[in-house]
Amino acid sequence: MTSADFSTVLPEVLLAVYAMAVLLLGVYGGKDKLTGAITWATVATLLLIAAMVGFGSGGSRSAFGGLFIDDAFARFAKVTLLLSAAAVLAMSQDYLERRDMGRFEYPVLIALSVVGMMIMVSAGDLMSLYMGLELQSLALYVVASIRRDSAKSTEAGLKYFVLGSLSSGLLLYGASLTYGFAGTTSFTGIVAALQGAEQIPLGLLFGMVFLITGLAFKVSAVPFHMWTPDVYEGAPTPVTAFFATAPKVAAMALFARLVYDGFGPVVGDWTQIVALLAVASMFLGSIAAIGQRNIKRLMAYSSIGHMGFAMMGLAAGTAAGVQAMLLYMAIYVTMNVGTFAFILSMSRDGQPVTDISALNLYSRREPAKAMAMLILMFSLAGVPPMLGFFAKYGVLMAAVGAGMTWLAVLGVIASVIGAFYYLRLVFYMYFGTETEVLDTRMPAVQWLLLIGSAAAMVIGVVNMFGIEGAATLAAEALVR
Amino acid sequence: MSREGVFLLVMSALPFLGALIPGLMIRAGRTACATFAAVPTALALTMLLILAPSVMQGEVIRVELDWLPQLGLSVSFFLDGLGLLFAGMILGVGLLVTLYARFYLSSDDPMGQFYTYLLLFQGAMLGIVLSDNILLLLIFWELTSLSSFLLIGYWKHLPEGRQGARMALAVTGGGGLAMIGGMLILGNIAGSYNLTDILTQGDAIRASEWYLPALILILLGAFTKSAQFPFHFWLPHAMAAPTPVSAYLHSATMVKAGVFLLARMWPVLAGTDAWFYIVATTGLITMVLGALIALFKNDLKALLAYSTVSHLGLLTMLLGFGTKFAAIVAVFHIINHLTFKAALFMTAGIVDHAVHSRDIKRLGGLRHLMPITFVIGTVAALSMAGIPLFNGFLSKEMMLDEAARTGWAGSAWVVPALATLGALLSVAYSFRFIMHVFFGPVRDDYPAEPHDPPFGLWAAPALLVVGVVLIGLVPALVVGPLVAVAGGAVIGGGELPYYSLKIWHGVTPALFMSAAAVLGGLLLLWRHAPLDRVWLAAPRPEAKVIFDRLIAAAVSLARRITDRAHDGAMSRYLAIFVVATVALGAVAWTGGGTPPPTRGLQPVPLVVAIGWALLLVAAVSVVVTHRSRFLALVLISIIGLMISAGFVYLSAPDLALTQIAVETVTIMLLLLALHFLPKTTPIESGWFRRIRDGMIAAAAGGGVGALAYVFLLRDVDTISGYHLENSYVGGGGTNVVNVILVDFRGYDTYGEIIVLAIAGLVIFAAIEALLSGPAAARIRNTNYTQDRSRDRHPLMMVVATRVMMPIAIMVGVYIFLRGHNQPGGGFVAGLVISIALLMQYMASGFAWAQARQRIGYHTMIGWGVLIAGLTGAAAWLAGRPFLTSAFGYVHLPPIEEFELATAMAFDLGVFLAVLGAVMLMLYSLSRIARYAGETQNADPMDFDPSERKTDPKEGV
Repeated sequence: MTSADFSTVLPEVLLAVYAMAVLLLGVYGGKDKLTGAITWATVATLLLIAAMVGFGSGGSRSAFGGLFIDDAFARFAKVTLLLSAAAVLAMSQDYLERRDMGRFEYPVLIALSVVGMMIMVSAGDLMSLYMGLELQSLALYVVASIRRDSAKSTEAGLKYFVLGSLSSGLLLYGASLTYGFAGTTSFTGIVAALQGAEQIPLGLLFGMVFLITGLAFKVSAVPFHMWTPDVYEGAPTPVTAFFATAPKVAAMALFARLVYDGFGPVVGDWTQIVALLAVASMFLGSIAAIGQRNIKRLMAYSSIGHMGFAMMGLAAGTAAGVQAMLLYMAIYVTMNVGTFAFILSMSRDGQPVTDISALNLYSRREPAKAMAMLILMFSLAGVPPMLGFFAKYGVLMAAVGAGMTWLAVLGVIASVIGAFYYLRLVFYMYFGTETEVLDTRMPAVQWLLLIGSAAAMVIGVVNMFGIEGAATLAAEALVR
Repeated sequence: MSREGVFLLVMSALPFLGALIPGLMIRAGRTACATFAAVPTALALTMLLILAPSVMQGEVIRVELDWLPQLGLSVSFFLDGLGLLFAGMILGVGLLVTLYARFYLSSDDPMGQFYTYLLLFQGAMLGIVLSDNILLLLIFWELTSLSSFLLIGYWKHLPEGRQGARMALAVTGGGGLAMIGGMLILGNIAGSYNLTDILTQGDAIRASEWYLPALILILLGAFTKSAQFPFHFWLPHAMAAPTPVSAYLHSATMVKAGVFLLARMWPVLAGTDAWFYIVATTGLITMVLGALIALFKNDLKALLAYSTVSHLGLLTMLLGFGTKFAAIVAVFHIINHLTFKAALFMTAGIVDHAVHSRDIKRLGGLRHLMPITFVIGTVAALSMAGIPLFNGFLSKEMMLDEAARTGWAGSAWVVPALATLGALLSVAYSFRFIMHVFFGPVRDDYPAEPHDPPFGLWAAPALLVVGVVLIGLVPALVVGPLVAVAGGAVIGGGELPYYSLKIWHGVTPALFMSAAAVLGGLLLLWRHAPLDRVWLAAPRPEAKVIFDRLIAAAVSLARRITDRAHDGAMSRYLAIFVVATVALGAVAWTGGGTPPPTRGLQPVPLVVAIGWALLLVAAVSVVVTHRSRFLALVLISIIGLMISAGFVYLSAPDLALTQIAVETVTIMLLLLALHFLPKTTPIESGWFRRIRDGMIAAAAGGGVGALAYVFLLRDVDTISGYHLENSYVGGGGTNVVNVILVDFRGYDTYGEIIVLAIAGLVIFAAIEALLSGPAAARIRNTNYTQDRSRDRHPLMMVVATRVMMPIAIMVGVYIFLRGHNQPGGGFVAGLVISIALLMQYMASGFAWAQARQRIGYHTMIGWGVLIAGLTGAAAWLAGRPFLTSAFGYVHLPPIEEFELATAMAFDLGVFLAVLGAVMLMLYSLSRIARYAGETQNADPMDFDPSERKTDPKEGV
């Protein structure tokens, strides 16, 4: 490990060391009494590292002989996932504390999974890909079932674990096929092996298919999405919020990293698969969400649908597509942070409520929050002029630009179907019927994030806060 | 930027900026609030009037600012004839509605909020008609859905308001989203997202293969917005909104947006068969259907709403004809419809305000009680009916004229006949409006005392009615130039067709049709009461009910799909997962193109065939008997053994050794673990499901098998060559597996022993938790004693294992030492010694063996990992990367020359970690046994012959 290598992975190392140090502190210190302090410290650390990555040096560097790549693409994804993880952690503290679920391991596990995600998006090799992926997943398996006394949460965690293992197995099968036929695990090596061949060798093709299958599970693309609704519903809401944000960004970025860096020369072979997954996800996400009464389950299907749209950007197979995908993910995460900030505050007599009919006539008593949710829902549905529209529009345009007009048309149809259930939530809040009311209490952090993200959906329309420049750089770094 | 450009920008921004004012001004009183709400509108209108002269001369004013250029999005507006017409309508009527609403809204209604929404809506509408960029247009388009949602739902206490708002939002919002797709395609074909550019690309667009999808998607947007059949149902239900909103949205603005879009896109989309048949037919159906329903509506506003649907159908039909003349008639009718319909809505609002009822059955005889309202309403309704001297007559004549010349699918009479029918119904409901509201006897049961409203309320409709009459009398003078310039914009430049705006066109077919319509309409009204009964008795599809049912059906369908796919059963999820993977694999298979095989099949000797058969039988038997767990475990061990044998046969002794050692240890541990679990797996699923799942599993297995078969028949460039070549040169060993483990992939191995160590510790910790948790009671109460052997620690076995112990350890050491060059190594050695110890434990019982165990397993694991780590770190001292191995040869006299590699120290670490982990697992399992009440033996064997001398009776 040379010092150059070390300085390249410094953010990851810092976070990992921090997580382990805090774990020890927790074990030998005050255990759950320290949860609050550790949570806020973790939030601060995540923000600090986000700043470090975001304002760090530009350009592309690689470490450990290409195992780890630090480029604009990785930095964009890292900043997005670090910020979203920090936001989710910050807004869940109150919820966990009030329901006596504040385990000091929770922030530590989040930090560790974030380390995994950072490695994922920087992976330049199948080895680091898998290492990052598993580091993330193992932490997530535990987090999903962190409420050990709840049968639902445990079941969700177990399902996630078994299916996750299956997907990891498939991924490894694909990786070994790829290794066997390319003779190397590094992405550059795989690209070199593909460059000469006029047609992709069967072994590599299968390797790629199984790798994509494994990753499709992580981004919960249909038909590898089955865990999503159960885990979203079963896990405690803060965990659900986390699942819906940072890991999605990481998995999607890794997906892009693999298909472009590893299988860039055979774009035609994987765009079809990705397009297929995208279409299936968009439609299932839209259709299945209609029947949901539980808002967490609804958000699970919503996330499946959104992943479909993000994958549409990938399927385009162009730099514009990657840029659109990155923007999509950044906007999606922002919307979800706001939405979950609201869902976290949904309670009646202090008990969490997840049924959507609880929103009935919410706007009468809480006009500001209801308006914020209205904006977020419109944005999630992709209705102009909210930022969500620009996200959707970007991927649609990328698909059209890549000659996949059919994909864009299907995407539009899916978004029309999907708009129904978002608008239904709005309808409940503004009209609905008289039912028992929700508590009005909302902690300051959640309120800030809800209003902030709603405001971002409106104000961001002006210039997208300039992130599309960063996304362009990121896309250029990936698609050469 | 030119002065006009700045004006255009400011004009389109004014309503949005102005939307902030009413909220602030409401504290200063209602009049102040309304006045200030009118200021931005009035300002914008003034600017429009300043710009108007140059537009009237055919100039097009453009302005463009960059916004998000990457997305092809810019803030660009343009003002041509069509834009001028619509902007004028929006702002003009907006001003009138502002005035009207001031007097209409009661003091309980939050007025500031109302004007804010109204201005937002006005800004969005203005944006639609002025946008040059189609994306900008889309944004404004959806903004109208959003702000109209707020306006329609303004009276939150009315249940109809809620329903209406929801339906309007769902239908128009969804249509708008569909339109995004159409616009995208359009922009892609034209290569630009600027309307002014797209409008010049008509031929390219019509010739494109994507013309039809684009057309359908855009029409979806336009039809839903303009309430065209079959999306017409939302409009009447949106009537729960306060009347000023209805007057504004449903006469001048919102619903006209769809018509505007059709007119705007006319130069590029019209003129094809698809356009004619979709647009004209939809328009025709909507016109007749809307008029028919309007005739039988009792709610004043519902009547007007359906009449609006009908007139929008008329406009759509005209644009759908695709002729230039029809397009100009459409423009003319837009103006006319605006004037009389806005006046009618306001009249209905006045009646509602004064009488507190909009039910026609409860009205009548108002002409003396409300004379001003009577005059206004009657003039406007006569115009709607198409009676000469009013403007409705002019455009209706021209429409009928055009319809008379239009054939439909080879039939010359369909369009004229239906158009006449529409006109006839229109006459009927217009006269019904007049007769049933204002004429008839004065009643004494009005809900409130009817009276004419204050000037503020009737001023706006009166002004509109003046327009109705003026246009009706001298059309060419009043609106001639505007129609010319707007019509010119619709048809996309070029020569205007011949048309004349005047009352008398001579004796034409249209005149007869018109006359027939008026007479027929009056006849219909005369027989209205019996017809009404027939109508009420007749079964008819109620669009709202259908919509609700459709939604309900869609929801339940969605729920059914979801419930079936996500029933929470793990097996289903796995099945979907596996099937999807197999399907993807199959796709890859067909898509990949397999090269022809380069190798033939190897000959199959008898031994191999037997082994293969054994493997197969064992594998199938596992599946069949897996419910009996011990049996399945035994069969699994056969599979493991056959695989080891296969390795031996294929000259991979190192692999075979590793495999057999791993196999033995895992089977032994599994046996112990199974002891505490149920012995059989219950059957939980029906035979059908089992067969289905079996087929899925077979497909997956078959897929993997096929893959292996294909690869084995082909020479592929694999990585084994590299390792074979470099194993000795780079790693100093000839046992390639071992060299890979400790050298090439030393990192992995290091990681793996850590994982193994963690696994051992986790099992220990898990059982610790298990025994202190609620499950402990269950373990304690379960009876594990069935079928217990009476001879648990037989003499023979104890003696044999004791004799074998040193030998086994020696073998372990031997395997460890030779590991680098010959089959063996730290991993295998660790397993071999574990097996030797395991045998001791099994033979003599756990407690006895444990008592003789001196080294703690935790410590052993710790040392193993530490040694391996330190060995790796030692490479740093030599300035090499972590885990670089070094080797040399040592010659010690009594022994032959042997090799000393740093890898050996590493191997020692591996050895210790493996041994410790395996033994820790054993220890953990035995803890459960003891907890569960297993008797402990203090003696090594059940019956010790050496003790027989002292007490011959004991132990029997």
